[in-house]
Amino acid sequence: MSWRVRVVHTTGYRYEAPVMQSYNEARLTPRSDRRQNLVAGRVETTPATRSYRYTDYWGTEVTSFDLHAPHTELKIVSSSVVETGPTVMPHNGITWRDLRGGEVVDRYAELLESTRYVPRDRELASIARDLRKGRNPTEAVLAISEWVHDQLTYTRGTTGVHSSAVDAWRAREGVCQDYAHLTLAMLRAIGIPGRYVSGYLHTKANAKVGETVRGESHAWIEAWTGGWWGFDPTNDIEIGPRHIWVALGRDYADVSPLKGTYSGGQASAIEVSVNVTRLA
Amino acid sequence: MGRTRRQQHGELFRGYLDPKRPHAEAYDEMFAPDSTVRQAYRRLHDSLAPSSAADLTARSEALDRALVDQGITFSLSGQERPFPLDLIPRVITAQEWSRLERGIVQRVRALEAFLADVYGDQQIIRDGVLPRRLITSCQHFHRQAAGVNPPNGVRVHVSGVDIVRDADGVFRVLEDNLRCPSGVSYVMENRRTMARVFPDLFAKHRVRAVGDYAVHLLRSLRAAAAPNVADPMVVVLTPGVHNSAYFEHSLLARQMGVELVEGRDLFCRDNAVYVRTTEGERQVDVVYRRIDDEFLDPVHFRPDSVLGVAGLLNAARAGNVVIANAVGNGVGDDKLVYAYLPEIMKYYLGETPLLSNVDTFRCWLPDERAQVLDRTDELVVKPVEGSGGYGIVFGPDATAKELNTLRRKIRSDPRSWIAQPVVQLSTVPTKVGGRLRPRHVDLRPFAVNDGESVFVLPGGLTRVAIPEGSLVVNSSQGGGSKDTWVLAARSSTVDAELSGHGLAAGSTPEEVAPDQGPELTSAQQQQQQQQ
Repeated sequence: MSWRVRVVHTTGYRYEAPVMQSYNEARLTPRSDRRQNLVAGRVETTPATRSYRYTDYWGTEVTSFDLHAPHTELKIVSSSVVETGPTVMPHNGITWRDLRGGEVVDRYAELLESTRYVPRDRELASIARDLRKGRNPTEAVLAISEWVHDQLTYTRGTTGVHSSAVDAWRAREGVCQDYAHLTLAMLRAIGIPGRYVSGYLHTKANAKVGETVRGESHAWIEAWTGGWWGFDPTNDIEIGPRHIWVALGRDYADVSPLKGTYSGGQASAIEVSVNVTRLA
Repeated sequence: MGRTRRQQHGELFRGYLDPKRPHAEAYDEMFAPDSTVRQAYRRLHDSLAPSSAADLTARSEALDRALVDQGITFSLSGQERPFPLDLIPRVITAQEWSRLERGIVQRVRALEAFLADVYGDQQIIRDGVLPRRLITSCQHFHRQAAGVNPPNGVRVHVSGVDIVRDADGVFRVLEDNLRCPSGVSYVMENRRTMARVFPDLFAKHRVRAVGDYAVHLLRSLRAAAAPNVADPMVVVLTPGVHNSAYFEHSLLARQMGVELVEGRDLFCRDNAVYVRTTEGERQVDVVYRRIDDEFLDPVHFRPDSVLGVAGLLNAARAGNVVIANAVGNGVGDDKLVYAYLPEIMKYYLGETPLLSNVDTFRCWLPDERAQVLDRTDELVVKPVEGSGGYGIVFGPDATAKELNTLRRKIRSDPRSWIAQPVVQLSTVPTKVGGRLRPRHVDLRPFAVNDGESVFVLPGGLTRVAIPEGSLVVNSSQGGGSKDTWVLAARSSTVDAELSGHGLAAGSTPEEVAPDQGPELTSAQQQQQQQQ
């Protein structure tokens, strides 16, 4: 079963004092792959800008834009229509021995190493090793995702955009970004290549066609066990037609939806909304 | 013959070849082991030998005064000091130079191809020639630079290849510098100073000129601009007056006749770069930047950097400006990547290196690591990222405690370390007190790639380790420098150079003009460029 979904992601900033020079990069455009097809996508800003698009190292579509006229508000709207695919089934059939092989270790080196958001942690590694016992790699991915889901309580505000997997683990609280980082830290600790997926989630499983719901900017993980497949530890569910992926990377830093520098007054986010409509 | 020569060595050289000196097995560039004077240095030796210690001191004082007049200083661990220039030049014959030059050009070509591939399709990895992890684990592999394609394909506009001469007198490459190699201003200024203090020596030698470096640099930078730019605007981007190489930045900008700017003088708009001038904005086509990647563009690198220019990297990606040297070149001068250079050269050029590397143990390979851990006390262990000689451990000089700490570091992060046998760097007579003493030297020639050909400035920066027995020549570690003389070939035919004849007395005129006052040469060429 596949869906056709429209996503409208709006982000607005207000500045205390007029901003003159602002340079930004948006990673907000869903990609096409075997499971998902981007029908239309655009990123627009107010004040209007002349944007420049490129594909980065990770294969993400980046929209870069800069503003020079003084402004106290900036609004970025990314709208896209995407055909999503059926539920993703776990890849099976690889052994722990295969994962330790030189070829896998070399090919996925980047996705096995620690990063600032996904640091190495002795305690987490030992828990991951316990969860691994008696399971094959695919089962271990599911067990770890489930464990992360059980351990953390979904709470906004405890962790911030710069919190690492370990920070979230210590707090036992977090948001989807933290769930994903924590899962990745444990997968990598036992030699399973894992990557961070940024995207959107349609929050209503039984949505009617034409109904617009408040969706969310979301994150989940993909693991490699002979092939890549995704899982959503935040909701403890498979990746299905409700998931729209935008970018892949080692962690949040590789895929951050909006980043930039500007000179001017302190910014506050005034509006973040994701409206998702099932079209078919 | 040997006997008479020995007698002529004179007061200055007394005790020079003391067999009990440290590293006595090192190759001395002036004297052969039987204490005859090598061909390259014969005239220099004959001019110096009759001098007395007092003559030497007088010359040395004149040299120091000239240096202070010119205001040449460098920063040693944050302190500005005059850059010590030794008064005995280092001499390289035409034949030796021709080998070095070809080796350096080959290296630059291979590394250019490598960088283009690494930031493009990564064919070398797909073909299994290099492990993927070698690239992805490199700290200076900047994924932000993937897909940035310079218009004329050049990424290594300027490189500095550090070369040493081993105990057999063979030139070997110690490391490549593909980011912002500095030191070329010392090459030019040392020559200018030497020409003032030793006009007589220059009259007796046919030394190839170094004063026209800026002409080659400017040509390379202009050639780098997008092809539809008729008269490219080039700027030199400096971190500012507090940078240790500011002198060099300003010298190069002045000699090229281009603007010297800081980050705040530039800005990007819609992926084009502009410089603010008193006459308004002017679009910039080429930025010769002397700022490290990490500080270059706060959008992609350190967001707190105030030295760089926001949006610069995407302007380069859009093809509206060229950053020279390119962003991410550090992956090509990583010391572990260096160890794979023979494979890299074979893959892209189908050639074997004309200049060998120093033998290198790669700590990330278990068997080579085992050897390093076993023989730490006799090896030189280096961090792969290190520059300026920081972090290097000389096994033979280290205490047991230091070695244990080092072994622990290697075990916990083997990718970050390589080890090499101690290279007995060659020695050249150097003034120490009132005498000339053998001191160890290295050589950093500078190569400029304009996309058509690679020009290697004849000579380069010879750095000398002043303390007796020291093998650390880095200027950040308190070394000095020497003027480096590349002698002009007797004849310009390739056959003659390969046939093994050195520079003979009473040479005939040749293609390459002798150096008769470098400042004049550079001024003339500069004018030609501007006509």
